[in-house]
Amino acid sequence: MNNIIEVKKLTKEYKTLKAIDNLSFEVHDGEILGLLGPNGSGKSTTINCILSLLNYEGKIKIFGSDMSPDAYDIKKRIGVIFQDVAVFDELSVYDNIDYFCGLYIKDKDVRHEYINDAIKLVGLEDFTKFYPKQLSGGLLRRLNIACGIAHKPKLIFLDEPTVAVDPQSRNNILDGIKKLRDNGATIVYTTHYMEEVEILCDRVIILDAGHVIAEGTIDELKSLAKIEEKISVEVNDLNEKYIEQIKKIKNVEDVSYDNNVLLITYKKGKNNLVDLIEYLKNEKIVYSKIFSERPTLNDVFLELTGKGLRD
Amino acid sequence: MFIHNLKYSLKTLVKNRMLIFWTLAFPLILGTFFKLAFSDIESNEKLDIIDIAIVNNDNFKNNEILKESFKALSDKESSDQIFNTKYVDEEEAKTLLENSEICGYLIVLDEPKIVVSNSGINETVFTEVTNEIYANASTIENIVENEIKNEISVPNYDIDYETIINNAIAKVTESKANIKDISSNNLSYTMIEYYTLIAMACLYGGILGMSSVNKNLANQSNTGKRVTVAPTKKTVTIMSSALAAFIVELIGVALLFLYTIFVLKVDYGTNLPLIILLSVVGTFAGLSLGIAVSCIFKTSEDTKTGIIIAFTMLGCFFSGMMGITMKYVIDKNIPIINKLNPANMITDGFYSLYYYNTLDRFYLNLISLLLFSFICLALSVYSLRRQKYDSI
Repeated sequence: MNNIIEVKKLTKEYKTLKAIDNLSFEVHDGEILGLLGPNGSGKSTTINCILSLLNYEGKIKIFGSDMSPDAYDIKKRIGVIFQDVAVFDELSVYDNIDYFCGLYIKDKDVRHEYINDAIKLVGLEDFTKFYPKQLSGGLLRRLNIACGIAHKPKLIFLDEPTVAVDPQSRNNILDGIKKLRDNGATIVYTTHYMEEVEILCDRVIILDAGHVIAEGTIDELKSLAKIEEKISVEVNDLNEKYIEQIKKIKNVEDVSYDNNVLLITYKKGKNNLVDLIEYLKNEKIVYSKIFSERPTLNDVFLELTGKGLRD
Repeated sequence: MFIHNLKYSLKTLVKNRMLIFWTLAFPLILGTFFKLAFSDIESNEKLDIIDIAIVNNDNFKNNEILKESFKALSDKESSDQIFNTKYVDEEEAKTLLENSEICGYLIVLDEPKIVVSNSGINETVFTEVTNEIYANASTIENIVENEIKNEISVPNYDIDYETIINNAIAKVTESKANIKDISSNNLSYTMIEYYTLIAMACLYGGILGMSSVNKNLANQSNTGKRVTVAPTKKTVTIMSSALAAFIVELIGVALLFLYTIFVLKVDYGTNLPLIILLSVVGTFAGLSLGIAVSCIFKTSEDTKTGIIIAFTMLGCFFSGMMGITMKYVIDKNIPIINKLNPANMITDGFYSLYYYNTLDRFYLNLISLLLFSFICLALSVYSLRRQKYDSI
């Protein structure tokens, strides 16, 4: 498999803090790699090091060549969407995209075509003459993305592009990212939203305190979890006696009851939901709703680190 | 790429209302305020002949150069008269000063000593002229000595010492800066205010330079990160942004000149080309200051704007914007401040065009401004040499 990025023994220290500690990984051609981790886990620092914005120790290769601040041949094939919106308040939507695209593409006609493609991709067709301050948070994020990808880069870094974005814009952004991948781009996507990773990413690296704590496909990571299923039941005034009985049901790992919600986690096994419904029926326990869930990446993270992704 | 970045840098600068207010609108507003505030007193502020006294002791009597110089400068028949001089003893000089009948007196001990009771333009002119005469004394003595040698080299026992000394003074005057005939000139104290206003406009241009360059630096702004990861050389983006700021700055200063000349009816005299030259160099100094602030300080753009405004206003205050006396107080007591103060370099450059027949002091200020700019740019280049950052 062709590696687009190779990171070897990357270490980044701030004065008293080791933000990244001996990090090594690869990004394969055409994939969306998710860098998942809580705030402060080193995701953005990793990207800034890869882009040669920060001093670091270690070795970084992009497109098979060493990355450096003056590696212009590499840089012209890269697009970056930073976590903070990076646009000019004084320029219109079109002019903002034109300015940043113009740093990569000299030909005006080609640029015009690329800009229109980018505007269409992020759904800003009706806002080309608007200024950033006239845009909602979601539209602003879309503009931020358009500025980073208008020059049709082969490798795209998206650093938490959906922070503080409304659901409509979020879906639009996620759809746009899938289209970019379908058009042949390789994408590095950082987020602390596990749902996005599950929807988008082919492969995931989970970071915590500058370390890789797990790496693999979504299924591979979920298989690391001790639990295989979670069932939650909305039930009023459940007696302690029943809770104790449920704990003894086959495959049950843990039971909690809080705010009239009974949460049962199961070790590996099948027919857990059927068995539970059968028990509730036999005991004549009245319930309003019942859900079954597979373990999430947050559960994996919780098991590996003892804390949640958004702690 | 250079043109592309220049075009958008110009666009971002002219559409930034806060920048345009501070660099274009504020000087115009302040100029209008000056006109309203000072128009009534302008007619009363031409320099009068300055009343002084000289202690007529033996030291003075024996110092031909001082004696002849003050005689010439106190000649009521001459258009060059700037002093009304009383020759008195020391006690009488003190009494005259206490009674405010004179602005100061000269007493020649081992060296000439000026005694004044206040700080002001008259006192400064008196001191400056005396210092200048004394500084030129050795030159004059050499000329006189040579003239006398020439006279006695041929049999001539009727030597006119007074003519020789006057000729010597005239020769020095031709080659050295000298106080103008200010009584016959269109001199206005409020001109100093307008000069400091131009100095302020030039240095406020630094805000444009700062803002423009800030947008290209990864450790200073989000857009800077995006520009830095693009395949564009830093020198190209920085230079084109700085040029854009310089162009807008120059337009701002030009507008200020046009507004003060045609609307406020300010008469800058006949030295307009030199005033424009100094303004262009002052604008460059302001730009350099802005670039240095952008590169050296890692803080928000608003804070950097505050730094430039504070630096400029303090500089203008020291160079006489809020009261001309301050300039004299600083020049007299802490001259190093105004020697390092770019606002004073600009103001003093204009001032010297008014007060001096020659351009030595003007060019000294011009060179000082260029040196100030060079230092600012050298510090900036040193900072910009870094290609990666420890933190962003």
